[in-house]
Amino acid sequence: MDQEGFRIFATIVASIVIEAAPFLLLGSLLSSILAVFVGDEALTRISRQSLPVQIGLGLTAGLLLPTCECGIVPVTRRLLRKGVPTGAAVPFMLAAPVVNPVSLASTWVAFQGDLGMVLWRVALVMIPAATLGWVLAAGRGAELLRPSLDLAPSFPGDCPDGCGCGCGHAHHGPAQSLAARLLDVLRHTAREFLDMGRFLILGACAAGVFKVFLPQEVLGLVSGNLLLAIPSLMLVAVLISICSEADAFVAASLSMFPRPALLAFLALGPMLDLKLLPAYFTVFHRRVALAVALVPALIIYSLTMGLGLSGVLR
Amino acid sequence: MSAGFREGFQDRAEGLCLLCLGGFLMALAESRFYWFFLNPKFSPLTLGAGALLAVCGLALLLRPEPGRGTPARLVRQAFVLGFLCLAAFAWEQVAREPLPGALNPASAENSALAVKEEAPASPRVTRNGVEYVRLNLAELYIMLDKGRTDYPAHFALRVPVGRLEPADKLGYALVSRIAVVCCLADSLDLGFLAQGLDGVKTGQWIELYGHLEPLGAAGQAAVKKLIGPKSLSLKVMNPKFRVVAEAVEPIPVPDPPFLFEFREKEPFAW
Repeated sequence: MDQEGFRIFATIVASIVIEAAPFLLLGSLLSSILAVFVGDEALTRISRQSLPVQIGLGLTAGLLLPTCECGIVPVTRRLLRKGVPTGAAVPFMLAAPVVNPVSLASTWVAFQGDLGMVLWRVALVMIPAATLGWVLAAGRGAELLRPSLDLAPSFPGDCPDGCGCGCGHAHHGPAQSLAARLLDVLRHTAREFLDMGRFLILGACAAGVFKVFLPQEVLGLVSGNLLLAIPSLMLVAVLISICSEADAFVAASLSMFPRPALLAFLALGPMLDLKLLPAYFTVFHRRVALAVALVPALIIYSLTMGLGLSGVLR
Repeated sequence: MSAGFREGFQDRAEGLCLLCLGGFLMALAESRFYWFFLNPKFSPLTLGAGALLAVCGLALLLRPEPGRGTPARLVRQAFVLGFLCLAAFAWEQVAREPLPGALNPASAENSALAVKEEAPASPRVTRNGVEYVRLNLAELYIMLDKGRTDYPAHFALRVPVGRLEPADKLGYALVSRIAVVCCLADSLDLGFLAQGLDGVKTGQWIELYGHLEPLGAAGQAAVKKLIGPKSLSLKVMNPKFRVVAEAVEPIPVPDPPFLFEFREKEPFAW
């Protein structure tokens, strides 16, 4: 990489991390508030619901808890540790970055009020999210999660449940004063942010390398062929790792591509990108992480290709 | 529970990392170079996140809990510090020279046209009896991309002039602007082929007074084959229209040079 290339790389990495950091911090804060203030009983009530209801709650929870993909993994990890059933937590993790007011509005604006694009995008996100929730529902939430690298406790107060913080948690001890709990929220937030932040930085670095080395002319060459356009834009969505609240504007600018390819880009990016991939493999067991990474990609590819070839979407 | 120095060392180290990161974000949010990384409308968000990170860092720094040092904890500290070095490098580079070549106006002695002070903007400007609507290049591009036909018949754009093969061989210059919705990673370098800029040096910023004409087959073929230098942004050329310059006027580089606001009707953001 020459000096100009390194300069572009550094700028891209910095801009992605600076853009995503507030959302990751918000996710970490939300996760910490759940950990410290919300009792396990409140969330495990969801597990008493039937599986379709759990999946439905997971798919639409993003409307009440708007977040982009940058902060979704720590929240999901916390929900699973709190006993939220997999059937709700996994659909929430995959759907919330798109099924939230900000992302829906940005898609609507970017595509000039084209409600069809918004609805197709939501459908193409909800179908794989619901499918994966249904498939993984058999496993208990905590069973899907990898133990943290900091698991083995050696200090008194080291967290035994592998949250990655390496210290005692409020929920392990007796009831505390409000000030002490707020302090716990801040410390939890700090550790959660650091724990997930390394994957954000890693993903941003990968996206920066991609930006420096991918010849842009390639996009123009594949845009006219549906069979090439869909996988190409899916790959681009993974590699450039744009926030789900901004990706619609980029998609709208790629007007030389057919609509099925644009929808594949819009549906896959918030579920799988270079920021999320290392986070999935660190938080979930390998098989689960592979499923979370591959199943949505396969479903979106099949659906958009089918819609394109059948002429339903042009 | 608060730990002694040795037991709380890891928490303190992590707190310090977060304090530095929070401080960096706050400083950048207040910096005049924030626009180079993100759309300025996000600066309050960055400022707030920086402040919260600093508070979280202080919580670890001043009220640490006992915890052992592990490779994973060292790795996450190293990631933050590594990122800070990278971001500081990018900041230092932009402070030194915002964008090599593209943003610096050509020097007057090398240019066929002399640079004048930027005139105060008004929504419309009249030259040689023709009224031109001022808008920015992204606004024009978006109108065309939407298939609208009510774009101004005569317009004024602030653009830098570029030249790339094979369009240059056909007598076309290139006018483009970087449009940023959120951050530089999702920015687009929107452009048109342009005619009538023969006397303008490459790299010169101009206010271009002109109109649109359909791009011929040769121009459309040239657009597809344009190969630019390494760029921060995805280059997207309008495949259907060319800009025909009726008059040009050299201008200083706008500050900031990127486009962050896009309106659909007058008064445009320009």
